[in-house]
Amino acid sequence: MVKAFQTSALAALFAAAAITGVRAADPIKIGVVTPLSGTYAGIGQQVRWGLDLAVKEVNAAGGIMGRPIELLYEDEEANPAVAVQKAEKLFEVAKVDFLTGTVSSGSTLAVGQLAERAGKLIATTVSFADSITGDRCSPNVFRVNARAGQQSAALAVWLSKEKPQAKVFYLGPDYEMGRSTVAAFKSSAEKVGASTVGEVFAPLDAKDYTQYFGQVRAARPQVLYTSVAGNDTVRLLSQLQEFGLLTNLTLVGASGTVTSQNISAIGKAAEGFVTGVGYSTEINSPENKKFVDAFKAAYKAEPDLYGADSYGLIYAYKAAVEKAKSTETDKVREALRGLKWMTPQGEKTIRAGDHQAIQTMYVVRITNGQFNIGGQVGGEDAVGPDACTRF
Amino acid sequence: MAEVLDYIQFVLAPQVVTGLAFGVAVILVAIGLTIIFGLLDVINMSHGEFYAFGAFSALALGWLGIPFWLLLVLVPLAMLPVGYAVERILIQRVFNRPDRHVTTLLLTFGLGLVLEDAFRLGFGPNPYRPETPIPGAVVLFGIFLPNYRLFLIVVGALVIAAVALVVYRTRLGAMVRAAAFDRNMAASLGVPVAWVYAGAFAFGISLAGFAGVLLAPIYSVFPTMGRDFILMAFTVVIVGGMGSIAGAVVAGLFLTQVQAIASLYISPVWTDPIVFGIMVVMLMVRPQGLFGRLGYA
Amino acid sequence: MPDALTVAARANHLLVVALLVAGLAFAAIGAALNDTFYLRLATEALIFGGLALSVDILLGYTGLLSLGQALYFGLGAYLSALVLMAVPSFWLALAAGLGAGLVLGLIGGIIAIRVRGVYFALITFGLAQVVAKVVYNTRSLGASDGLLGVPIINIDLGLASVSSASPAGFFLVVLAVIIGLYAVSAYILDTPFGRLLIALRANDRRVPFLGYRTASLRLSSFVFAAVIATVSGTLYPMLRGFVSPELLFFSTSGNAVITVLLGGVGTLMGALYGSVLLTVLRSVIGTWTEHHLMIIGLLFMGAVIFLPNGLMGLVRPAVERLLMRKARP
Repeated sequence: MVKAFQTSALAALFAAAAITGVRAADPIKIGVVTPLSGTYAGIGQQVRWGLDLAVKEVNAAGGIMGRPIELLYEDEEANPAVAVQKAEKLFEVAKVDFLTGTVSSGSTLAVGQLAERAGKLIATTVSFADSITGDRCSPNVFRVNARAGQQSAALAVWLSKEKPQAKVFYLGPDYEMGRSTVAAFKSSAEKVGASTVGEVFAPLDAKDYTQYFGQVRAARPQVLYTSVAGNDTVRLLSQLQEFGLLTNLTLVGASGTVTSQNISAIGKAAEGFVTGVGYSTEINSPENKKFVDAFKAAYKAEPDLYGADSYGLIYAYKAAVEKAKSTETDKVREALRGLKWMTPQGEKTIRAGDHQAIQTMYVVRITNGQFNIGGQVGGEDAVGPDACTRF
Repeated sequence: MAEVLDYIQFVLAPQVVTGLAFGVAVILVAIGLTIIFGLLDVINMSHGEFYAFGAFSALALGWLGIPFWLLLVLVPLAMLPVGYAVERILIQRVFNRPDRHVTTLLLTFGLGLVLEDAFRLGFGPNPYRPETPIPGAVVLFGIFLPNYRLFLIVVGALVIAAVALVVYRTRLGAMVRAAAFDRNMAASLGVPVAWVYAGAFAFGISLAGFAGVLLAPIYSVFPTMGRDFILMAFTVVIVGGMGSIAGAVVAGLFLTQVQAIASLYISPVWTDPIVFGIMVVMLMVRPQGLFGRLGYA
Repeated sequence: MPDALTVAARANHLLVVALLVAGLAFAAIGAALNDTFYLRLATEALIFGGLALSVDILLGYTGLLSLGQALYFGLGAYLSALVLMAVPSFWLALAAGLGAGLVLGLIGGIIAIRVRGVYFALITFGLAQVVAKVVYNTRSLGASDGLLGVPIINIDLGLASVSSASPAGFFLVVLAVIIGLYAVSAYILDTPFGRLLIALRANDRRVPFLGYRTASLRLSSFVFAAVIATVSGTLYPMLRGFVSPELLFFSTSGNAVITVLLGGVGTLMGALYGSVLLTVLRSVIGTWTEHHLMIIGLLFMGAVIFLPNGLMGLVRPAVERLLMRKARP
């Protein structure tokens, strides 16, 4: 009699454990469509590292509302057509609750349109085209990284302090992103009194920038602004140094121009480079120290802005879902609007009007291969006006 | 008058000189391609990846401590057996099919994809850059000339001259040209055609690898670097003449200078269409190129 | 005993019917299960299959390898996007694609057909690269971001109306269009004109001796292929709601060539089956590993070496044998 009771109690206990176990293990799925091959694979790698680290930490601390996060990766091959196809797979087949990872603005915009039609939310942690939270904003697209306008604002402030009335030469890659970044900084710079002495747009993936050096020399600038990135930066900067152009020139550029991915290849030529960026490993806060140490321990590499912003996204999503007490699109959207949360870069706020993250922008100068902070600009000052009229 | 001289000294001349360095680089890559093209009738779509192969090998061996000067010799030599193997194992499989042009193009295209991914697998997606072996520069007539680029021009020119010498003035070169002109006849005259073919392919990609080692310090090393030269190299080969080394040299210098000087006056993005336009005009007016085919000259 | 040509033709017809039936069944199952992704993936496979068809017409029948067919496909897509954003009419977009294909094919053809073989491949490659770059840098075409916001349209089929957002409905529309393109191609290639093209592929130096002008033959073939590519391209923005310059890049042209090879050069059907096969492979391999480029590359090399007749080379003889057995009295 007692034995039967004991057995049935045990069975009931197991059943209960199994049921709660099953419910507790029902993961929150986040899709990641990011370039894992091709030119942007380096950025995709940082995005992946940042997301993986954050998810590991969140899951170790009990997940979101008791549910673990599961990341599902797909390679977008830096092609919006592929990105959209993979994103749809994640939305419809894997039924992810949320999506991120797109790098180029083309991919972000295209996947954003898909997300709107599919009733899901996405966030970008890399794309910095102003249009994504500006004239092409979407109610289903959020951005947790700093956009081009914020980067220029920080850099322009530095420029007005350190090199007032400077003569600036612009050298950018000839595509939408390269041109608009140059245009954004040019307008900020001219507002603080700098003058433009020349502008050249080189083809993307140009091997040899030396053919433009004649023009640069002729213009005799004090400051050279560039918006190249990745391998192009390695070539431009090393060639500038090779041709002795760096001796009397201050080099400034966009956030993505010099990152931890290409700085070792650039070597000494990067010395003295200044940029306005939303992240630096040198940010002196306990959150950042903890983040950088964990990142280095896990991946034997330093995080850059893409890794840091991707890391921060997971915590933003966690905070939003916990506030909304649900993963439903509309509720999470409401929760994300105006959300304030802690990141390695300090506290960020997602502006409700355009879904753009507001954060402190740092002026970073590369000294001895380190991204030293030379100043900062407050979030509200840097972010610029809300240009989104769709919602 | 002073203005014109100033312009020549500070704008035009440096442009010509840097165009020269770039031109030598393109010629080195194009020569390998034109030999493979002219002799085997194979469009090596993976030629860019062998250029990258040379650069990555130099990188890896450099980490082991081998000095740059040794690498310049070692890497191309090491690539000879690799090229030989590729030719014998892969290309020969489809060589005797009637649609050889298409199948070898496609085969090497596939090979290029595999190699590119292999680089990413082995070295990661981020760029590397070996330190410039000869830092510093000289100033000649007010024109700033980095030492390494001068070295590049000199070494490149020497190698190109050596190749031309071998192909046009030695017995080995005669065998190569004979095999290109009439394979069966050459075979019946005792030319070891199979060896010549494999050897030519190996040599061609070895040259590309040499260019990779040479250019690594100034153009950096990363998995997709093979795509850098493709259009330009093919254009040089076509404009110069399929299989003509003299053609590759002349066309290489000409086209890079056109590009360098054109970029002074028009937006640089349009220099590619101009180069392509020259290729199209050449194909329409004189399809065998400036100097005609290897062996046919 | 029926002769080989008739059997081959019948085998082809059987395979078309098989594709059609499979497509209809797929649509039915998909609609029943409320599926979105797989239906749209299949639609995309068919659209790119149209591009592959255009490559096969040039490669498998005229003997010309085009490495830049994506140019026509991409421009067709862009034109369609522009038309749809102004006037959301399916038929107008299709017609625009047809017209554009004729014009673009003529222009491209006049440049390209003067040469053959390797040179032709390079000219088509270069042409596509140059135009792609121009599109990439043209602000009014959306520059590197492409054009977004192509609206969901309602396709008026007389008796019924299908929305481009409906996965099964639009899949059936695309299936009809692509099979239509295939049918037109198969018909034209079976005419004396088509036989001449095959003759060109076999030995283009002899054809003039038979009294035909190769230049006009090649040009016609080129224009025809361009139209097929452009019309296929017009369907893309209807499916995905956007276009981007990557549609003109070499990767798109290269994929089409891989598709034709895997499916079977010179079979027309191979282009369609090959596209389905490649799309499935890519999707599966892509999810499984990030080194899909290497795997596809190795697969491709293997196909070139070991399977020169592609999928059709395996399937069609089997179908033909089946038909022969049935035909025996």
